[in-house]
Amino acid sequence: MLDFFAIFSKGGIVLWCFQGAGVTEPFSGAINALLRSVILQERSGNNSFTHNALSLKYKLDNEFELVFVVGFQKILTLTYVDKFIDDVQLHFRDRYKNELEKRGALKFLLNHFEFGDDFHILLREAEGSSKAKAPVSMRTFNESQKSQKTVKSMIETKDGDKSKEQVGKKSKNAKKEAESGGDQAKAASKKAVENGNEGLTQEEIIERNRAKFISKQLGGGKPEKSSKSPKPQKPKGKVNRVWDMSGKRIAELDYSGTNGDSSDAQNQDPDATAEPLIQVDSMKGDLRGVDYESSDDEDEEVQEEDKVVVADTNKKGGKKGGFGGMFGMLKGLVGAKNLTQEDMEPVLDKMKDHLIAKNVAAEIASQLCNSVAKKLEGKVMGTFTTVASTVKQALQDSLVQILQPKRRVDILRDVLEARSQRKPFVITFCGVNGVGKSTNLAKISYWLIENGFTVLIAACDTFRAGAVEQLRTHQRRLNSLHPPEKHGGQPAIQLFEKGYGKDAAGIAMEAIAFARNQGFDVVLIDTAGRMQDNAPLMTALAKLIAVNTPDLVLFVGEALVGNEAVDQLVKFNQALADHSKTDKPRLIDGIVLTKFDTIDDKVGAAISMTYITGQPIVFVGTGQTYSDLRSLNARAVVSALMKA
Amino acid sequence: MEEEKIHVDVEDFSEEQFMESFMRDIQSEEGVLIIGILVALALVILTIVFFGNFWGSSKARNAVLLLGLCDSGKTLLFTRLLLGKFVRTQTSITENSSTYKSKNERGSSWTLIDVPGHESLRVQIVEKYKAVAQAIVFVVDSSVFQKDVRDVAEFLYSILTDNIVAKNAPTLVVACNKQDISMAKSAKLIQQQLEKELNTLRVTRSAALSSQDGAVGGSVYLGKKGKDFEFTQLPNRVEFIECSALGSKGEDGDADIHNLENCLAKI
Repeated sequence: MLDFFAIFSKGGIVLWCFQGAGVTEPFSGAINALLRSVILQERSGNNSFTHNALSLKYKLDNEFELVFVVGFQKILTLTYVDKFIDDVQLHFRDRYKNELEKRGALKFLLNHFEFGDDFHILLREAEGSSKAKAPVSMRTFNESQKSQKTVKSMIETKDGDKSKEQVGKKSKNAKKEAESGGDQAKAASKKAVENGNEGLTQEEIIERNRAKFISKQLGGGKPEKSSKSPKPQKPKGKVNRVWDMSGKRIAELDYSGTNGDSSDAQNQDPDATAEPLIQVDSMKGDLRGVDYESSDDEDEEVQEEDKVVVADTNKKGGKKGGFGGMFGMLKGLVGAKNLTQEDMEPVLDKMKDHLIAKNVAAEIASQLCNSVAKKLEGKVMGTFTTVASTVKQALQDSLVQILQPKRRVDILRDVLEARSQRKPFVITFCGVNGVGKSTNLAKISYWLIENGFTVLIAACDTFRAGAVEQLRTHQRRLNSLHPPEKHGGQPAIQLFEKGYGKDAAGIAMEAIAFARNQGFDVVLIDTAGRMQDNAPLMTALAKLIAVNTPDLVLFVGEALVGNEAVDQLVKFNQALADHSKTDKPRLIDGIVLTKFDTIDDKVGAAISMTYITGQPIVFVGTGQTYSDLRSLNARAVVSALMKA
Repeated sequence: MEEEKIHVDVEDFSEEQFMESFMRDIQSEEGVLIIGILVALALVILTIVFFGNFWGSSKARNAVLLLGLCDSGKTLLFTRLLLGKFVRTQTSITENSSTYKSKNERGSSWTLIDVPGHESLRVQIVEKYKAVAQAIVFVVDSSVFQKDVRDVAEFLYSILTDNIVAKNAPTLVVACNKQDISMAKSAKLIQQQLEKELNTLRVTRSAALSSQDGAVGGSVYLGKKGKDFEFTQLPNRVEFIECSALGSKGEDGDADIHNLENCLAKI
């Protein structure tokens, strides 16, 4: 019934494998997919995974660095698989313990692991045990307990016990007669019911019911008395609302003339030239990483101190406690000690609370801790290491692993590639309301202009008042910082807008066509902010992305968000996947983490977002001026996260 | 009486009396405790010194790293170099390391380390082993090189511009693997493409160096400024060779790695 079973080392060398009869496809693709999406993304909390039509279950052996994987058809529900894997693992370990205990990768290569016979025996046992329970046949009515009871006994009355006893005797008699047939037994029980009812007259029944009713009312009435409604306040008279602007004229309230209309280059904003903080050419090249005090050196010193202290107490303890105590303490610190779930649990709970305190989403923190537990279970601890330090180190490694990008993140290189193919590189920004899409779009366009590219901004936010004017202001400031004369006559940045109320997807399509005609290098599409629950708006966004197929879809999320991040990203991805007509829908490709300067070291949102999507954090926004754009420094973020 | 007392106090400050009192203290009952603490401290210092020496000696560079993208054939190459036999492999999630006896006259041996190619693991593991690398074998999948050229170049760039690697300048051998597939590109072509790609990467990654001082990480400039990048401009010894870990006969035959073995013998 199994499609395949493979035992391989964590270094990738397959020790033994079994392929079920009639299965022709190679399984290495499925196993690689399992490794990449589950184990390497720290989702090993739940141990099953589906790939195409196969369902895979796996088990990690951390002591000998082995992985056991079994695969079977998804439509089958095999109940014995979990226990079977455990049995196989124990059996394999026991049999090859000597070979596996050696060090180095050669042990996997030199030995032949002839496991086939044992495997088949175990498989037959497992399959046999699952079939052993034959389906139970239904009992006939005569055999059932219900036939022994009379109808009257099943009525719940105050005197029910007495009548049950009476009925019990009668039913025993009925049972003896039951051989002749069930009808006679039923007839006998019916007679018993009629006899029982005559014992209570109509009036007594009514009395009893009334008593019950009254008692119910009394019991229910008590809470009603306590919840008195507060005394109604004196009703206020209706007061006329006074608007401050009620006296002024409408014309003074119209601000669109001074800022919105003029787009000629002569109208240079005096503010931009007076801006002392913007340094032209300061953003050339790759973005700097987010700054943190490097605590790597401090960590090493602390570790050395810990080791010294441990050695010191060890010696002192030995002198004071005598021989038995010395051996006890030494044993505790030195020598092969396996990590068990109970050892790790208190430490992991503390780490989980610590992560949640640092603004990591709650379910992500628990999934991470489960995954680390799975990774460490059964592992042999080195000398002079405590459980806490091992768990902390493993958690730190897995956090850095999560934050490392799974694909190459080099926007400048991709833009150059698109330029050589004579088509614009299209980036779309999406996110909920108020996270900083337009601000960070302006920062990114500044960075791109600094590196010599021409940018077209497509104003596809046709809903929010002032969105187009905001982008126009940015365009004018950037153009004044980088005048067209420097860029060979063509303005470095231009705005493509069609006013308010139009369809965003249509504007995006026209903007891309315009950019291709005019030879712009990059198109940045600004969309309106929308809540993830708002189905029609999510449909509109999905349509924009599906129709225009941008090169990069960036989700803009603020670093202040807590558990909401999980919900936002899941629903955004879901909407994009649902409304796309192709087999491979365009999902979120990258994350922009904004408002990073507002959080000190509660940087957990970065972890939540990368964990949910598996996509890298491409930009980090650290302020509201043009040069406040950084790239993610995984080590700095993780050290800030693990700091006490 | 008071004068005598004062005299006694002054005398106590002399060294001899101090030493005598010290010796008396040591020989007393409580002195055992002080002796114990002193001995413990001495032992601790010795342990630190011992461990420091031990760590220090292992920092000698005697390792060869097998680096490359996922699925480029590093683990199979590792097995072939060590034992010459074929094994099925999966994606590695930890590194494999073993001692390797090279086939030159001296019979020197060093550690061969197979680093997983997966993006989330490679950075951390390279960090661990880059200081002890005597040589780096960069394995490239020649059959899909055209598609992956940017990823390959980015990985190679990040290794070459690492501060420690640039300082040590280990030998770089680029092994163009999977030559048994008919679509495989030749080593010469791969070299040209990589040079072009690294040239572009120099511009996009390190243009900031000329305008800003030292704020960008990885402040190593590959090759010579003003000229197109070529591998001969690097301080490391660079070689491009072709090989096939699978071999022409697949599982049963030998791998076509004589070039690689000869190269490794020269290290």
